[in-house]
Amino acid sequence: MTAPRTGSPHALDQVEEYRPVFAGKVLDELQTLLQRYPTKQAALLPALWLVQRERGWISDRNMAEVAEVLGITPAYVKGVVTFYTMYHQHPVGKNFVQVCTTSPCNICGAEGVVKAFLEQTGAGDPGATSPDGKWTIVEVECLGACGFATPVLVNDDFIENVTPDKVADLVKKYR
Amino acid sequence: MADGVINLIIDGVPVSVPPGTLVIEAAKQAGVLVPHYCYHPGLPVAGVCRMCLVEVEKAPKLQIACATPVAEGMVVQTQTTQAKDARQSVLELLLINHPLDCPICDQAGECELQDFVFQEGRPGTRYAEYAKRFNPVEDFGPDVLYVPNRCILCTRCVRFMEDVAQEPVLNVSERGDRAFIGIHPEARLDHPWAGNVVDLCPVGSLLSKDFLHKARAWELDKTASICTGCSQGCNITLDTRDDVVVRVRPRPNLEVNRYFICDHGRMHYRWMNRGDRIEAPLVRQDGELKATDWDEALARVVGILRGAAEGRKAVALVSAGASTEALALAKRLLAGFDWSGAFQVVMGDEAPLAGVPNLALRAERAPNAKGAEQLGYTRDYAAALTAATSAAVVLVLDDPDCAVQTNGALIYLGTVLGPDAPCRTAEVVLPIANVAEEEGTFVNRDGREQRYFQAKPAPGMAQPAAWVLGELVAAMGLAEVGGP
Amino acid sequence: MGFPHKPHPKETVVLSQHFGDADARTYKGWVKRGGYDALAQALKTEPAAVTEVVKESGLRGRGGAGFPTGLKWSFMPKEKKQPHYLCVNADESEPGTFKDREIMRWTPHALLEGTAIAAHAIQAEVAYIYIRGEFTEPWTIMEKALADANAAGVFGTIKVYLHRGAGAYICGEETAMMNSIEGKRGNPRIKPPFPAAAGLFGLPTTINNVETLAAVPHILKRGAAWYKGLSLSNPKSTGTKLFSVCGHVQRPGNYEVTMGFPLQDLLYDMCGGVPTGRTLKACIPGGSSVPILNREETEACLLDYEGVVASGSMLGSGGVIVFDDSTDMVYQIMRLARFYAHESCAQCTQCREGTAWTTKILERILTGQGKTADLDLLLDLAENMTGKTICVLSDSCAAPVVSGIKKFKNEFEDYIAGKRTPVMVA
Repeated sequence: MTAPRTGSPHALDQVEEYRPVFAGKVLDELQTLLQRYPTKQAALLPALWLVQRERGWISDRNMAEVAEVLGITPAYVKGVVTFYTMYHQHPVGKNFVQVCTTSPCNICGAEGVVKAFLEQTGAGDPGATSPDGKWTIVEVECLGACGFATPVLVNDDFIENVTPDKVADLVKKYR
Repeated sequence: MADGVINLIIDGVPVSVPPGTLVIEAAKQAGVLVPHYCYHPGLPVAGVCRMCLVEVEKAPKLQIACATPVAEGMVVQTQTTQAKDARQSVLELLLINHPLDCPICDQAGECELQDFVFQEGRPGTRYAEYAKRFNPVEDFGPDVLYVPNRCILCTRCVRFMEDVAQEPVLNVSERGDRAFIGIHPEARLDHPWAGNVVDLCPVGSLLSKDFLHKARAWELDKTASICTGCSQGCNITLDTRDDVVVRVRPRPNLEVNRYFICDHGRMHYRWMNRGDRIEAPLVRQDGELKATDWDEALARVVGILRGAAEGRKAVALVSAGASTEALALAKRLLAGFDWSGAFQVVMGDEAPLAGVPNLALRAERAPNAKGAEQLGYTRDYAAALTAATSAAVVLVLDDPDCAVQTNGALIYLGTVLGPDAPCRTAEVVLPIANVAEEEGTFVNRDGREQRYFQAKPAPGMAQPAAWVLGELVAAMGLAEVGGP
Repeated sequence: MGFPHKPHPKETVVLSQHFGDADARTYKGWVKRGGYDALAQALKTEPAAVTEVVKESGLRGRGGAGFPTGLKWSFMPKEKKQPHYLCVNADESEPGTFKDREIMRWTPHALLEGTAIAAHAIQAEVAYIYIRGEFTEPWTIMEKALADANAAGVFGTIKVYLHRGAGAYICGEETAMMNSIEGKRGNPRIKPPFPAAAGLFGLPTTINNVETLAAVPHILKRGAAWYKGLSLSNPKSTGTKLFSVCGHVQRPGNYEVTMGFPLQDLLYDMCGGVPTGRTLKACIPGGSSVPILNREETEACLLDYEGVVASGSMLGSGGVIVFDDSTDMVYQIMRLARFYAHESCAQCTQCREGTAWTTKILERILTGQGKTADLDLLLDLAENMTGKTICVLSDSCAAPVVSGIKKFKNEFEDYIAGKRTPVMVA
């Protein structure tokens, strides 16, 4: 089993100099966002989305950078990051798959969809990344598409009416 | 309703309070302590622990006393079945993940969870077959340990750092029953006032490393004192166990330090327990200092003072940590001389507590510089040292590092005298008590005179400096002399 | 419903008229369909007068609380001394509810028009539309619509911004939403102070649900009397409501009916009832935070605020979750409790610890280790979790537990007595 080749900062021998997220175009985007709120702090959630868009996840070092840019403390940023479930605090697979399993979808076979994803991607357990680094499957709470059970988010693609037999095609499509 | 006063009834007791008073505070006037955790008068209201639920007539639901302002004619009941059941439930829920650590937890004996569970809790838990949430102990910084398992998430520590210290270095991390108090890995809890979170923590979750496993709360004797760390004059409590000072805690004083002390003052107590004390009066005999009794030592001093010619110079080199009484008596003792007195103060960086007006670790690291100034002592220590060389009498009060050289008689009052100390050349050495071993007053930088009390006995034959000087003053017949 | 099926004859199509019509999403398409007329009319009317019309119409918040909208607007200071804010609650996360996303996907300009009218009525300079992070498609559509509307000068001097959530059901609570917009953890605030006095950034604020605002242009255009007339029963519940029907029904989806519509007609006529060969066992009419109705109650229930209360539940968000007789009620109630335990913000003791403990007890019952005392314990916990916390997430966890034990006690007892095979619980 090979280690995931995502350039993960988990590897201790890869001590690189920190490359700021908020530079160039991304910094311009942040400046635009800052215009929308009377306080810098209010741009925190949008800023964190920018970091995740650029880096795929939000590291402690990223949090310190965001804190500095917005004039708040790293601890404050961390408190916010750990509150909201959509921010990743560690690297995830290339395809981050969120499957709703709350009751309305649960009674329409959502758990079967999760099982199918786990088996067919090789991810094994919810939250784990598959050995080829391409998949992380998680169970999430109500995605607000209960009438189109089971809804599944693959990264930013919101796919509805997923049943276990449709999972194979989805996996093939996104692999 | 009289102007500016709201009248209400709490548990049958009528109280009158200013408008805007919270029910939980008004209750204190009725002699009622409403159980609570997250509320603290020195912190902004959070209303999260839900412990202070009380019944308010005409309100459809129980109200939290910490967030309910008083209203005219309000009737509050804290002991109804409904209120007690609700509070009992909060206690049960706090205990489901809280470990039974009392036997090994520092907070035992001064733990608000113990107190209220004993008072209002269930006799046993119904959470029997489930595992408790577990997180490992964390080292937050220089003195603070965090034990997440014991944390009840009252957020007092978070609010203190955010609103009072104004350095939000603590957060609540995660959500739901996974939540814990977090700190960013690149940060430390090293704010100069951070130690207060340990006092604020109602349970044994935030602990002082300095105090860890040192003593049990019920073994401690508590004495009111004043911090000697700087000239702010924070009110403190000295906790002693078997006559050893083991901990310093803040004592509330709304005019001076509110509910807080800084870490410098908090850690500034080990010197009070020094073992290398002068334990007997010493007089010079045949070129050497020999131990003797008080009568002989005091008589020797009187002899020196009477023997000095009229109008000769006398210099008093004092500590800015000596009591006002001692400083005043030292001056009076030298009334017949051409007197000058001076003190030197160690200076350090000021560290304000941003959220409280006029509260800081002050640059002057001594408690009574102002008292000394008011009595006429100056800061021109160098000039005093120079004057001392040709003075007839030099009185050194509690200044062990004093490097005075004199042709006159050196009288040393102090707690310690090292083998190489310059004042070993003294004629007379008189052992005195330190701040924990006597009663006295200090004047803080704002001119506030504050009293401290005796927490432990002085070692050997040491006596309070004020007593020593008072005896000398009486012996010299100077007792009736007008004040300094 | 309009999407993916055509409206049912018994529907009263107002909000859902253009569902499924991609052209209606565009600015031009919306104008062509009569859009932004109501706004033009509102802008010529005094803010207080606009509020009066909405008050008169009897419109109530469609997010779940059902608070009269006009009354809520009237709480804002009449005399403008500080900036005012409008927050649009598009955080739709109540299990069983999926109507706001349809409004945003198909008629984004309806929402924008309602936002503009509301902002005018409450004299707000800035409006934030808080869209939950998972709604990627509505976000993209709203972004485009907002850009087009701004280009057309719809909002005048009012600034309208989209603000993306990041995965927290509790941010649908109005005070938690304000904290989230301010860049904080989504913790609900204690009230007072109320948002209209001190809300977003400490300034007067009104928070309205998407569906509520989508109704406003219609009310302005066709009049309060018309909207009031759209009620089959109690005059206190007016207009239409989008009911999101999901679970064990043949045709799940959003159905728009007038207030007072019989729930059984919605389920059996419009949705085709439960799958063939099965029977209806239970129904939650207003999103998972309201009590569960059994079959008799479901079939007798009228869908308006007072009617659902009379049947023993609440209208809530109108998320209708249908359970047929194949459902393991104990398992589903456990799954709902787990939802609340996951979403608890952790402030209040009862919610933080109580939701998790409730979940654990239910899991133990399912794995065959339950005791008879567990049911009383669950009910006792539920009582202590009701009416004692900053927000009602705690109460919401208690609702399905209490109603579930009351109405499906035999299922719990079967597990406890070992009469039912234990199940694996993840």
